[in-house]
Amino acid sequence: MGIFTQSIEVDCTPAGVPLRMRWQGREYRLAAEPVRWFQRRNWWNEELRAERGRGPGLVDYEVWQLQVKLAGVGPLRTFEVSRQVETGRWRMIRIYDAYQESA
Amino acid sequence: MSFTHLNVTSAFSAHYGVSWPEILVQAALADGADALAITDRDGLYGSIKHLKACIKHGIDPILGVDLAVLEPATEQPNPHTHPAPLHVSGRITILAKGHSQGNGYKALCKLITAAHQPQTLTGVAKGHVGIMLNELKTHALDANGEPQLAILLGPNSNVGQATAHRNYTHARNLLHAWRAQLGAETLYVEIVTHLNTPGQRLSTSHAIRMLRCAQTLNITPVLTNAVRYADPDGAATADVLDSARALSSLETLHDIQPNGQGWLKTTTEMHNLAQELSRDATNPALATTLLRNTAALADWARLDPIQDTGWSIPVVPEAHIIGITGDPNTELANRAEAGITRLLPDQANDPVLRHRLGEELATITDLGFATYFLTVAEVSDMITKMGIRSAARGSGASSLVNYLTGISQVNPLAHDLLFERFLSRDRKTLPDIDIDVESARRHDIYQHIFTRFGKERVSLMSMQNGYRARGAVRDAGTALGMEETDIDSIAKQLWRFSAATFRQALEEKPELAPFAQRLGTEKQLDLLVDLTERLDRLPRHISMHPCGVILSDNTLLDRTPVQPSGINLPMSQYDKHDMDPMGLIKLDILGVRMQSAISHTLSEIQRIHPNAQAVATAGGHLNKHSGQIPSYISPNGTIDLSLVPLDDEPTYNLIQSTHTLGCFQIESPGQRELIGKLAPTEFNDLIIDISLFRPGPMKSNMVAPYLEHRHGFAPEKYPHRNLAPALAETHGVTVFHEQVLRIFSIMTGCTLAKADVYRRLLGSRSEPEVEAFFRAAAHDRQYSLEVIDEVWGTLAAFGSFGFCKAHGAAFAVPTYHSAWLKAHHPEAFLAGIWEHDPGMYPKRLLVAEARRMGIAILPLDINRSDASYRVEKLDGLLPPARMPVVPRAVGAALPGRFGIRLALRGIRGVSEREITRVLAGQPYASIADVRDRSGLSRTSLNNFAALGAFDSLQAKAGRGNRADLMEHLRGRTRKPIPQRYRPLPGQLALPLGDLDISMMQVGAPQTPLDEVVRTELDLLSVDVSAHLMQSYAPLLATLGVSHAEDLLAMRNGTEVLVAGVRVATQTPPMRGGRRVVFISVDDGTGCVDATFFHEAQQRCSPLLFSTRLLLIHGLTRRTGPRGISLQALAAWDLSEKSVLPAPGYLSDPTRTRNIEFGASSTAPKIETGMSLAELMAAEDLDARGHLGA
Repeated sequence: MGIFTQSIEVDCTPAGVPLRMRWQGREYRLAAEPVRWFQRRNWWNEELRAERGRGPGLVDYEVWQLQVKLAGVGPLRTFEVSRQVETGRWRMIRIYDAYQESA
Repeated sequence: MSFTHLNVTSAFSAHYGVSWPEILVQAALADGADALAITDRDGLYGSIKHLKACIKHGIDPILGVDLAVLEPATEQPNPHTHPAPLHVSGRITILAKGHSQGNGYKALCKLITAAHQPQTLTGVAKGHVGIMLNELKTHALDANGEPQLAILLGPNSNVGQATAHRNYTHARNLLHAWRAQLGAETLYVEIVTHLNTPGQRLSTSHAIRMLRCAQTLNITPVLTNAVRYADPDGAATADVLDSARALSSLETLHDIQPNGQGWLKTTTEMHNLAQELSRDATNPALATTLLRNTAALADWARLDPIQDTGWSIPVVPEAHIIGITGDPNTELANRAEAGITRLLPDQANDPVLRHRLGEELATITDLGFATYFLTVAEVSDMITKMGIRSAARGSGASSLVNYLTGISQVNPLAHDLLFERFLSRDRKTLPDIDIDVESARRHDIYQHIFTRFGKERVSLMSMQNGYRARGAVRDAGTALGMEETDIDSIAKQLWRFSAATFRQALEEKPELAPFAQRLGTEKQLDLLVDLTERLDRLPRHISMHPCGVILSDNTLLDRTPVQPSGINLPMSQYDKHDMDPMGLIKLDILGVRMQSAISHTLSEIQRIHPNAQAVATAGGHLNKHSGQIPSYISPNGTIDLSLVPLDDEPTYNLIQSTHTLGCFQIESPGQRELIGKLAPTEFNDLIIDISLFRPGPMKSNMVAPYLEHRHGFAPEKYPHRNLAPALAETHGVTVFHEQVLRIFSIMTGCTLAKADVYRRLLGSRSEPEVEAFFRAAAHDRQYSLEVIDEVWGTLAAFGSFGFCKAHGAAFAVPTYHSAWLKAHHPEAFLAGIWEHDPGMYPKRLLVAEARRMGIAILPLDINRSDASYRVEKLDGLLPPARMPVVPRAVGAALPGRFGIRLALRGIRGVSEREITRVLAGQPYASIADVRDRSGLSRTSLNNFAALGAFDSLQAKAGRGNRADLMEHLRGRTRKPIPQRYRPLPGQLALPLGDLDISMMQVGAPQTPLDEVVRTELDLLSVDVSAHLMQSYAPLLATLGVSHAEDLLAMRNGTEVLVAGVRVATQTPPMRGGRRVVFISVDDGTGCVDATFFHEAQQRCSPLLFSTRLLLIHGLTRRTGPRGISLQALAAWDLSEKSVLPAPGYLSDPTRTRNIEFGASSTAPKIETGMSLAELMAAEDLDARGHLGA
């Protein structure tokens, strides 16, 4: 297992639920219902400002856990990805070790 | 269909909720909601604001509460000693049933009141606000077993906690117990997901476990979002509140919200959450069920504000309670008639009085307020019968009915006051009648009102205390885990600005400059500023309002929850803004220290001079020609101030001299300057003076034209001759609300009542409509455009200020009385002032004043001092006559015959019990006797000795000095004799002589004067033996420092150095943003009022608010024939010798100079429209006075 902050591309349903993702030039398809939660941030250690009216994204960030298969056929892999509030861009934050997952 | 939020805490949930009710309603409305609940923690604190917002925006309100549930601790440590202590098992949400003729709301009020009782019905101490399950049952169901309350068990309930820990069996058992007690119909399971990390509390999986539990036991699940803030931005504020609640830093906080999802989510988002739950529970129908259940519960709980809560319907006490049997209107008329007989017998047939009385009574009848007036009269009567001084303040003094029924002491006809300013058919809300009483007796009065009207009809009003800058920065600093000393040093520099403008203040205020420089270099400081701003104004706690008492009928406790107050009387959870909406009648019974001081003064006069002749001689009251005793002194020497004529010359002489320290309303530096210029010669001048000394008139520069016209420097001008009658008393300057009413009426032909409606709209958004009406109507009445323009200009400017003349008249009465007492009975007056400390200055300044008045201050004496300050006749030869600086009434007793004995209560650290016992034991024959019988603690004994309280005993024995005795007492640790050997009360001690003194070692050097003074300051807070500055006299002489008393003789613009002890600091809010700081210092010869403008503040920034002893360099500024102040250029801390300038500083070419002297020396411009008392309170000058706090 490792922690990353690499950029990825994610296609979503109109409701904002991920369908597909592209990462390192490859496309992965969802193999199970994605799981979503909001992860707390210790913003008082990480941020320099917390001004009023700053909006969402200071106290928590959205995490999706995706179970995917490469091109819909490869081995099942589990990624955690996050969407940044300000930019709407996605980034990979965690990759579960494929070995452990299948073992 | 829109989603209805059923669990919403507002900012009124102290240290929990973030958003104000209005903001929450607006957010719900923006999403298309047609109903919204408010469920504050522990009470209905925000409910009325919520109702108001809902009514305004046309959505249905739902009321509820978030309460702790208490249960006995499971293990009983020792069943024999105490009943099992209660502990909190969880928190639940409770909603009131709507459209139930108020039954649901009533049940909610009663439940909350029960939750705040310190004990359960069976007498078990609670230790925490909350409710037992069995109590809950009695409130939730009515007599027929019908639910009046809905109980929602959410993630914080014991069921929710069990499911969070995956204790499924336990959770089911708990829910089963709930159902067994309350029945399935009353109960709901509250499903909440904040989309926390899967598996954790407030995660979707937690919610699904709750769902399964509900399904198993057949309890209806509903969906909420446990809202704490209107939008996601509030989440960080909620984090800080979590930290403040736990008094812990964010880093170490256990109870922090898991993430930031507790906001008022939109209908779409709530539907999505329902779908997500449905999917995760693999139950496709679930979403629809959840949303349908929620909507059904919302419909059940929608309130009709009028039917359910009695919105805006005034409820007065029942007629029989105030002792009337017939028609209240007739009763009121009869009492007014009786008042004429008592107060104005000569005017009984005066057509003006008859017409006025008829008008007032007719208006009161039409409005249906007779019972209200009778109620207030009843309270006022009760206070008088208790022997307590009282006086109506505010616009109530405008009413003849109030005067005749004894509520007010001002005859409105004598001062030309308009009833329409107080009450009219065009305004439907109950008028405010405020009663000033002796502060020391206020709680007695409250107790009496509860007894008189019954505790089911009376409650104290509460007030919300919000975060201000200092508190906010402290809690923000704690949240960030900053060092306490660091936070403290920052907090101390914050001086009167709202937390919301912290960042702006950092840029502008010189005393914050050191802190501002640290921003950007130290990581946390920017966060500190941001978090401080976030906390601004959020309610921190509720407390008893300083004067509001709610009076109603016997349904009061059905209409407001109450909780214990600091004085053990029940206090409503509603504040002053909630009174009118809830139809609650509030009486403002203000404790005024000056009334207590006057009361003490009068009793001292009577005690010292036991009959009318003695009082009249001592006070110089005998008629100059006939030598008669005036009628206001009764044979036993009691003075009835209400009968004292208002034209006493010596009183106005004293006021004109500006030596008015201690006098009500006219002792501040600004007021002394104003009375110096105005030179009042009659009572109406005092009314005008008090009305002018207010933010509005100061701001709009009304004072200067008034003074010029008054003294005849410039001719009076009237916009139109028709207005001359209305404006003549103030020489053409508009000062009073009453004058505005008359101007409207004269120029537009409208009634005075209508005119008051227009006046109230000045400065509001409707002002353009008022202007349009005024211009059109005045034009129709042939006023020229120039006149209309000029008058409208005055009226428009008047919007934010102006003063009710009735208010000024009511204030002027104690002002006049206090000055009268100071002129005629200065010793008794000062004793009264010291006893009750009514003013803005520290007590030690009035010691200096006593010196200027030629009054001896008699030291503490174990045999002569009482608990209170007492006037004492001086024995022996009179000191040589010397005219005191402060004038006395001609004919009154000369200085030197009476002194004031310091009181035991003034000594720091001496308990009330010690005082009682010392007094019971007086007189004492010897030190040994004191030791044996007085019950003084060792510390107190030493303190008494250090203050010289035993000097007289020692002098009698004739050995040693004070230092010897102190050393002697320090060395001995003998215990007082045991109780059974103590002499009985009245039994004389054996005349053994003073063993202590005869055995004492003597020969210690005399205690130096400056040490004596220091001890006095430490223990008494006053410098009795000498002025604090006396020890600096040699230093000041070498520096060439001028005395306060010499400044008046100097030319305007003289460059001087002055020094003294700070006695007052004021920073009136300024127009244009530039602040002015006024610092008054006292040097023993008088007060110097120094003004620090922007540049001087920059130069002296570290000294502005904290330094006690100041050396100030400045230029004199003449403010009137008797007034001079100082424009400060530079200042130093006098106690830091190393930084002081060298002798000859004033001729040093490098000294600070102000080329543009005078350029910025305009009068202070004050921004807000607060009353003087409020303004002073805001300035912290009044923490001990006029608002009775």
